[in-house]
Amino acid sequence: MINLNTHSNRSRRAMLRMGLGGLGVPLAMPLMFRRMAGALAADDLEGRSDRPERILVVVELSGGNDGLNTVVPFREDEYYRVRPTLAISRNDVLKVSDEAGFHPSLVGFERLYKDGLLAVVEGCGYPNPSLSHFSSMGFWHTGVPNGGEPLGWIGRLQDALTPAEVPNATVNIASSQSLAVRGRVHSPLVFDNPNQLRRVGTDAELGAIAGLSRGATDESSGLAFLRSTSKNATSSGKIVRDAWSSYQTPVDYGIGGGLASDLQKVAALIAAKLPTRIYYVTYRGNAFDTHVHQADLHARILMYASDAIRGFIEDLARIGRGDDVAIMVFTEFGRRIEENASQGTDHGTAGPMFIVGRSLKGGFYGRPPSLVDTDDGNLIMTTDFRSVYATMIAEWMGYRDTDPVLKGTFEPLGMFAG
Amino acid sequence: MMWNPRDVMAGMRSMRSVNRIRFVVQWCVAVLCGSLILTVQAFAAGDPAESLPDSWIGDLGPIPADKWNYDRAAHLLERAGFGGTPEEIRNLAAQSPGEAVEHIVHYEKIDASQLPPFDESGIWEPGMDPFPPSRAEAVRIARTEGEALGVKPLPEGESRRLQPIVDKFFFGLRANVLETRRLALWWADRMVATPRPLEEKMTLFWHGHFATSEAKVRDYRMMLAQNRMLRERATDSFREILLGVMRDPAMLVYLDNGKNVKDHPNENFGRELLELFTMGVGNYTEYDIREASRAFTGWTNDVLEFRFDAKSHDSDTKEFLGQRGPLGGEEIIDIILAQPVTAEFVVSKIYRYFVRDDLSEQTRRRLAAVLRNAEYELKPLLRTIFLSKDFFSNDSVGTQIKSPVQLFVSTYRKLGLKQTPTIPDFNALTGRLGQSLFYPPNVAGWAGGRTWITPATFLDRGNALHSVLFPPQPADFGHPDRALPAIYRKVEHRLAQGMNITNATRAGDSGSSMLAEADEDYNTRYGGYRGYVLAFDRVKLVPRRRGDLDLAGMVSGAGAETASEAVDHLLHRFLRAPLAASARTRIVQHLRDRLGTEELTGDPQALEDALRSALYIVLCAPEYQLG
Repeated sequence: MINLNTHSNRSRRAMLRMGLGGLGVPLAMPLMFRRMAGALAADDLEGRSDRPERILVVVELSGGNDGLNTVVPFREDEYYRVRPTLAISRNDVLKVSDEAGFHPSLVGFERLYKDGLLAVVEGCGYPNPSLSHFSSMGFWHTGVPNGGEPLGWIGRLQDALTPAEVPNATVNIASSQSLAVRGRVHSPLVFDNPNQLRRVGTDAELGAIAGLSRGATDESSGLAFLRSTSKNATSSGKIVRDAWSSYQTPVDYGIGGGLASDLQKVAALIAAKLPTRIYYVTYRGNAFDTHVHQADLHARILMYASDAIRGFIEDLARIGRGDDVAIMVFTEFGRRIEENASQGTDHGTAGPMFIVGRSLKGGFYGRPPSLVDTDDGNLIMTTDFRSVYATMIAEWMGYRDTDPVLKGTFEPLGMFAG
Repeated sequence: MMWNPRDVMAGMRSMRSVNRIRFVVQWCVAVLCGSLILTVQAFAAGDPAESLPDSWIGDLGPIPADKWNYDRAAHLLERAGFGGTPEEIRNLAAQSPGEAVEHIVHYEKIDASQLPPFDESGIWEPGMDPFPPSRAEAVRIARTEGEALGVKPLPEGESRRLQPIVDKFFFGLRANVLETRRLALWWADRMVATPRPLEEKMTLFWHGHFATSEAKVRDYRMMLAQNRMLRERATDSFREILLGVMRDPAMLVYLDNGKNVKDHPNENFGRELLELFTMGVGNYTEYDIREASRAFTGWTNDVLEFRFDAKSHDSDTKEFLGQRGPLGGEEIIDIILAQPVTAEFVVSKIYRYFVRDDLSEQTRRRLAAVLRNAEYELKPLLRTIFLSKDFFSNDSVGTQIKSPVQLFVSTYRKLGLKQTPTIPDFNALTGRLGQSLFYPPNVAGWAGGRTWITPATFLDRGNALHSVLFPPQPADFGHPDRALPAIYRKVEHRLAQGMNITNATRAGDSGSSMLAEADEDYNTRYGGYRGYVLAFDRVKLVPRRRGDLDLAGMVSGAGAETASEAVDHLLHRFLRAPLAASARTRIVQHLRDRLGTEELTGDPQALEDALRSALYIVLCAPEYQLG
């Protein structure tokens, strides 16, 4: 799907791809050929990333979002049978295709979708799924399901993108660092409140501490690492605080608070032109773990999330970076197909992922999982989530050698044209 | 150079008979030397004139006695334990290297009976076992069996008949979290107070190696039992530790082995055994994982006891790493231990924990041979490592990034504290820097090394140490073990205003009808709130006290009379990686400025504050993050 719709600021590399697109690789072309076309273009590109200006924002919905009530299979009678109290009625669904519609709270997503800025990848999961929040989130974080991988997929990606550390390559808005961003070389900038990125102490103490490393030489590599991190912390702390204090936006991010406020921090840093290529934010507090009386709660948090993301996209356009940012939304698992006895849903398996951005080809990817042919009442995944990671790494971030990063071979989905 | 650890072991044994006399003599010598050395050594951070040849790097031969000194003893105590006071270091330095290492490694000869056992609050009540996996399941049990968690529903006709069950469920969750935090404080206290530092340091190693989290286990008793088992076997035989772990209820729950049954083998247990505990990826196949998992079918637990469930066990033929037969779990373990790669995997991890990250192929093989020759007994391996020139070489000393637990325990020990302060809260300190005892981040444990350090955690290490040096007054300190989350504070507030439960637990602020009419049988949010309150009632309150810091007494006890002597003592006492001369000058100047004079005289409180301020700067140095 080589689609070069709205790209105004085309690089030589984009032009190259355009050339291939111009050759008329048709949309319906077999997957094999499309991949070859991509590979030809890639061969002509140098460097570890051919799109260094691009930024990825990962949004984690913690708790396990109910995919079936988010992207609703409103044609399926089985859906209405197994969810007698929770199903979204056909009248309420925001229909975006012949088969699927969004939860009525996802007005923000519906608008993004209609503008061609939103892609839905259906049935995302991994083999032998774990129903534990802890384990499953760990698998998504490391990108290595059922393994004991100590590093996160974003950490590994950053280490591959630039083998020498780039300060602030990854920013993780959180009170503690996500496993997803843990790398060997790159130490992510992790903070919650920008104003907390400062040392406590008297002016005299702070002056003396700042002077400790002045003129230091001839050190072990460990000490050099600590010194550079220290310098980074001091300078980043100021950059982040300055960026945050000078950021003001007229854009409406909705009334949700948490995620909206964290995305505003990201917008502030992007506006301040940090060299950050990957931002990681979380809808916190296991909010999507809707075991009980799900309907109102789920409606509320979906609205908060989609309003915040839609606002963020609008804000990026305002800042002038709309073409350079893509958002990937995921959760650790979907919920069980059948609703439980408490008008809620229990831990399940596969669920949809969302990719948002101006440079992608919007629409549905993958195949909706069957509601009938199940794994003991749980959805059988149809897209390995690592294919989505591969898409973001190869097609969006422009790093072609995804196998070592993902510790396996996963096909990108052909979502970004170049 | 070839060198047989067994010879050294034999040497050690013959030495033991005269140990007592020696100890008395050494003690006298140490005290004598101590007072003599004090004025010379207390102010200098080691002997900068002496540098070691690079040939020591990778040399597993023992350190010669004439190279043994205060700094090497300090390094040994730092790594094999959590550092110590100059007095403790001098006592080690006054022995021969062999004796010092013997003292550290054969810690079972040191009386530790003064360390109190964990004081349990007693939160488990009859009927709470086995604890249901979810609130929904507890409710289902109550509906079908007329009772759950030892609680009966209210009589028919009462509103919210199942509320007591839901309350009790949340009580169970919350109380176990709070009790596990108390358990972590007890352990931290033990690390600070123990005369057997290696015992705790190895227990901490195994906790990371056999990572198990209360977040999934949800039963502090299992966490406590595992901690005890790991401590009892900490330096015995790797085989015994491994067997202990594979039969450990906390681990069986953590890796879902209760679900590993003949008809539906669960590969979690087998996979982690091979990948994380013994061999490492690339040394076996997926087929081996499946076959190993089959061998462990039926290994389960009745709450706190290991149980072999013969009915669930697959006793058919398995084929594992080339061996065939009706293999059981213990046989799988022995096949694994017979693989050369297993000893290499284990020694690599132990080496990285105690020495440094980069380990040559040759060192790995030699250490693996030591472990295998000792039939997986760990003490010979530890002795070899701690005595080796490599351990004391330039690449090893002062090069390891301290874990958050190491950072605070060693700070307390270097401050000479006998107890872990509870203001600030130990769990909060280490947790914000990425390490919570009994809550490793995943099955792989803590990645360690540079992953401890991010720009924010680097800054925050300093801030956390600031709160150690300048702790809040007890009256200003909010008990972290009695904190209600905001959502339940709101519920409590509304109930106090006289609202009924339905209204008090409404989710929205706008007075919407959310959750209304949806709580006939029970109200989950109210249950969550009640869970906290009941847990607060039952879990013993952690007494909150600040550390008994006396820096003025500390530096004057070391004979310091001037600002520069005081700073030199602080550097000497706290740093293993030396500070540049220019940095030292800055700190001396800072202390002088604070005192307004070079002399350590004047108002005792002002002197104490000034010294803490100077120490704060030292502890913020990148060098202090290294041990």
